[in-house]
Amino acid sequence: MTVPSSLQQLIQALKVLPGVGPKSASRMAYHLLQRDQAGAANLAHAIEYAMATLSHCRHCNTFTEAEVCDICADDERSRRQLCVVEMPTDLLMIEQTLAYQGLYFVLMGRLSPLDGIGTKDIAFERLLERASDGEVEEVILATNFTVEGEATAHYLAETLRARGLKVSRIARGLPVGGELEHVDPSTLAQALVERRGL
Amino acid sequence: MADKAVRKPRRKAAADVPRVDAQPAFILHQYAYRETSRLLDVFSRDLGRVMIVARGVQRPGSQLRGSLLAFQPLLLAWFGAGEVKTLHAAEWQGGLPQLTGLPLLCGFYLNELLMKLLPREDAYPALFGAYFAAIRQLGCSANERAAVEPVLRSFELTLLRALGYAPTLDRQAGGAPLQPGQRYSYDAGFGLVPARDGLPQFEVAVLQAISASCFDDDRVLGQAKLLMRLAFAPLLGDAPLHTRQLLIDLQTL
Ligand SMILES: [Zn+2]
Repeated sequence: MTVPSSLQQLIQALKVLPGVGPKSASRMAYHLLQRDQAGAANLAHAIEYAMATLSHCRHCNTFTEAEVCDICADDERSRRQLCVVEMPTDLLMIEQTLAYQGLYFVLMGRLSPLDGIGTKDIAFERLLERASDGEVEEVILATNFTVEGEATAHYLAETLRARGLKVSRIARGLPVGGELEHVDPSTLAQALVERRGL
Repeated sequence: MADKAVRKPRRKAAADVPRVDAQPAFILHQYAYRETSRLLDVFSRDLGRVMIVARGVQRPGSQLRGSLLAFQPLLLAWFGAGEVKTLHAAEWQGGLPQLTGLPLLCGFYLNELLMKLLPREDAYPALFGAYFAAIRQLGCSANERAAVEPVLRSFELTLLRALGYAPTLDRQAGGAPLQPGQRYSYDAGFGLVPARDGLPQFEVAVLQAISASCFDDDRVLGQAKLLMRLAFAPLLGDAPLHTRQLLIDLQTL
């Protein structure tokens, strides 16, 4: 039996999702069509609606329906600190901590030289422009602690420092409440390397 | 005694599948693979460059994930006869700090060279040792050019020698000896020729220092960088090295 081309097209389309291979895509497609047609229509509509209404915040580059997102529009927040993250999900994680009162910038990616992803493939130029608004005093680099996130942090730090900005990097080490006995050795080793004076 | 039931066709015994245990290795790069796995481009001591799939490491709470770090010495175990092996175990060995800053970008540069130039499944144990040493040196290098460049030049020379493309630095292309005090140009694929206008020129003393991997002098470093670029050009072709571009960008800040 051959798969009808419209079904084949749906399966192909679902494969754009991260971590979704041919098997999962076909499972999802059959689920939507057989068991949840209303859900499928809703999903189709939601995707179309999001595509039509969402754009990037003029200041921080995250997704927003307005020209400027709620965080950037909030007068209570400090304009002196700018926290740089890779993705909007990272921004949300930091927001949940309630530990940060400054503003954000979302790169929408990271530098990955071995994959050929360079400064032109992320919002690098926009960040330089944003950080040079005269109000930002400190740029806090909160890219991931992967080798790519570290490389991105270094590149941004050098570039921003050359423009006279103060640059900091979020700290890494043991998790809160973490016991040495249960932490993985590479984290423990790095915590020793990056120990601080008391 | 009753006959035994018809024998089942013998399954390929586990012992037939090639297995590698506790192999010293570095991960050069990794890619998302299928739904929950990662594909590792690995440089191992005794089996050279191998592609290994680490199954299930993308799942939350995977034990292996924290061990699969680039620029960290690992002991890997894998099995499989095909082009892509299956990871069985990974043990983080420790002893090297995680690279950061300029030394980290230099580490990426070494990895890009190896990924572009090293054929798969050919053993280069001496080169592996040189890579280990280079990563160790980068790990204790200061965040500045003067500290990392000798490490890069020395590894480049070792890599060219391992691949059989090292420039001959102790005589001219035709075999004639170098004349002390003279300058020479390098014609890739041919060798040293008497200095030519419009081409980089190298001093004999500098060529001797490069040949001996003595990169502790600014003049040697400057000329070595040019010479290495000329020697790598025919191997790398027109494809630009992304890491080299990043390093150049930072230099012109
Ligand atoms: Zn915003």
